[in-house]
Amino acid sequence: MDIAVCVKTNPDLQLMRVKDRAPVLEAVPFKVGDLDKNALEAALLLRDAAGDGRVVAVTVSEGDRKIRETMKEALAIGADEAVIVSDPALDQSDQAGVALALAGAIGKAGPFDLVLFGEGSTDGYSGQVPSRVAELLGLPEIGYARSLQSTGAVLRAERSMGESIETLETALPAAVTVVSEINEPRIPSLMNIMKAGKKPVVEYALGDLALDAAAVAPRRAVRSNLAEEQSRKHVLFDGEPAAQAEALINALVAEGVLGR
Amino acid sequence: MEKVECIVVGGGLAGLVAAYGLAREGVEVMVLERGNYAGAKNVTGGRLYMRPLRRIYPELWDDMPFERPVARELITMLGDGAATTVELASERLSGPSPQSYTIQRAKLDQWLADKATAAGAMVVTDMKADELLRDGERVIGVRAGGDEVGAEVTIIAEGVLGLLSGGAGLREQPRAADHAVGFKEIIELPPGVIEDRWRLNEGEGAAQLFMGDVTRGMTGGGFLYTNRASIALGVVVSMEQMRTRSDELESWELLDAFKEAAQIKPLVRGGELAEYSAHAVFEGGIDKLPRSYGAGYLLAGEAAGFALNALVTVRGMDLAIASGWAAARAALAARAAGDSSAAALAVYERFLRETFVMRAMEAGRGVPRAIENRRLFSEYPGAVARLLEGFFAVDDESSATLVRTSLRGARREFLKIDTLKDLWSLRKV
Amino acid sequence: MSEQPGKVDAKLGANVFKLDQEPHIVIDTETCRTVCTRRVCLQVCPADLYETNDQGDMTVNWEGCLECGTCLICCDEKALRWEYPRGGFGVQYRMS
Repeated sequence: MDIAVCVKTNPDLQLMRVKDRAPVLEAVPFKVGDLDKNALEAALLLRDAAGDGRVVAVTVSEGDRKIRETMKEALAIGADEAVIVSDPALDQSDQAGVALALAGAIGKAGPFDLVLFGEGSTDGYSGQVPSRVAELLGLPEIGYARSLQSTGAVLRAERSMGESIETLETALPAAVTVVSEINEPRIPSLMNIMKAGKKPVVEYALGDLALDAAAVAPRRAVRSNLAEEQSRKHVLFDGEPAAQAEALINALVAEGVLGR
Repeated sequence: MEKVECIVVGGGLAGLVAAYGLAREGVEVMVLERGNYAGAKNVTGGRLYMRPLRRIYPELWDDMPFERPVARELITMLGDGAATTVELASERLSGPSPQSYTIQRAKLDQWLADKATAAGAMVVTDMKADELLRDGERVIGVRAGGDEVGAEVTIIAEGVLGLLSGGAGLREQPRAADHAVGFKEIIELPPGVIEDRWRLNEGEGAAQLFMGDVTRGMTGGGFLYTNRASIALGVVVSMEQMRTRSDELESWELLDAFKEAAQIKPLVRGGELAEYSAHAVFEGGIDKLPRSYGAGYLLAGEAAGFALNALVTVRGMDLAIASGWAAARAALAARAAGDSSAAALAVYERFLRETFVMRAMEAGRGVPRAIENRRLFSEYPGAVARLLEGFFAVDDESSATLVRTSLRGARREFLKIDTLKDLWSLRKV
Repeated sequence: MSEQPGKVDAKLGANVFKLDQEPHIVIDTETCRTVCTRRVCLQVCPADLYETNDQGDMTVNWEGCLECGTCLICCDEKALRWEYPRGGFGVQYRMS
């Protein structure tokens, strides 16, 4: 079974500081997205269950040299090969541009029986890219799978609908997004990390995929994604607990928050 | 068992410089770093002495990420409710080739890891070496994350605690009598405020050391280094003296009290805490150094005891870098000879002597004894202030008399046999 | 002593800790109870992680460990099994 797994590398959010309401990215390492690791793990399990095939991790990059280092993580986890679409124009791309580049790379590196995604990226979390790629490739898509089984020709997926479990089947090839409950991604062993350095990494420029900078240029601009700032009144009440409670209630009534 | 030519345990400065030195000569070398990135587990006071290093891989340092070149040195003695500061601002401190820089390890170590990677080394993060593999006396590799990997030479740059090398009996376990503990806060301040507060030209930095009340008479002191947009403020105190106190003082309280002292408060005013870290510091000196080599292994950096506290200069990182360089050279020599026995790797000691590492350790031989003397940290800082207060005092006596009284007081405080002995003990520091 | 509980907690709150499931410091409380008379761990830890619980046993809040090793070096009775956290876990310094 040949599987493409789309991954996004992003800063380790736990390590990121926020200063003056903006992220500080200096000295923060990049890593493969958390949900993308679930997708990768699902792909490895399907490949191994099928007994043959390959898992290819596919990503886009604005051309940072470190992307190759970051993608080693996907190879160490177990991908057989990495594909990187690398072009400065991708730096500003929105989900539409990224989907074009991914679909182009999957088409060129394929054919694949299955294209897997995490349900969203660790940083942006728009969850748009999988459906866009599926549409571009003309594949049926199943979203939010919490389990996957393949018989070779047919893929069966379960997803949680809250009160019930929905089971879907699709012919292959198909595109699927997975949720974190689907598995516990493996932590790469030292041996596999060492082997990762020797696995093939293919880089495509946009031109290799019959794309250009205009095709992946953003179609919309994000002006701000900050939550509205709320100011507090910072009122402190002193005294005995009972008196404090009384003062607090009176203040809330005065503010119109409580009625008496 | 999978094998590489060299394994380096620890992605700190010693380990990464060793890896860089090996990789650029085409040696297959793998660094094991347990943090999320090189520098994630590493703590410095804050200052790297650069001058000794310029001859080591000169091509390496051009784009080193630093915070500020130190252009102003201050020593402040705190005692008896007073602060006396000696200050040096000199163009020979900074200038075109600054003597020292303030730095942050997360940036410096990642930069160096990138250099090592670009030279061909493999830097594995999130990977702790769990054990040294032995074949008799010989170190033949490491066990890490359940896998065993062999190596012709293992460079152990695991840091001050020496858990692996101590566990394998290659060196002694650390003793409280030979160590201090340092802890510090990173406090964010706008660059302009830092430059105003320490009277610095734009981009320049200051280093300020504190003696006296900071440590309540114990061996140690306080330090303050200015980064670009933060300061590192910390305390270092003798572990042995800390743990044998009869009161219930807790180590961390020293830093809080230090920050609250009237003379320090204005320096940190308006700052915002961004990180709190701690680190053990080896102060045993040259006489307590472990043997730094053996069959199949070399010790480098703090794991080998290369750290030096000479009161006004505190060094570790420059020694680590130079020892990493020497370790790479020794491993290369062993490789060329096809022999990594203890006898072949003994060449490491010669390389260490050729660098400034052993000269610096030798020059600091007297320090451990000298700084055991608690008068340095309890009596003298206050006495200096009392002397100067005499000079500055104005009351109903004539000023001439006052100066004379002050000098008489100084004679009483300083011209004692103990003081002369103390001066004698400090002559080499 | 800890007259102002939480003072060090506030400092540790500025740090990044990646927590493993298993503690990397294990106390041999039997030794602490029967042999140790000084309990220097209470004094020396810069993160103030050691406490005596209601039963009089030593406990350690290993989650906030700065990994300096001071407790390990200072423990008179060798009552600590102290390792670094597993690779990738524990404190991750960003500015020190």
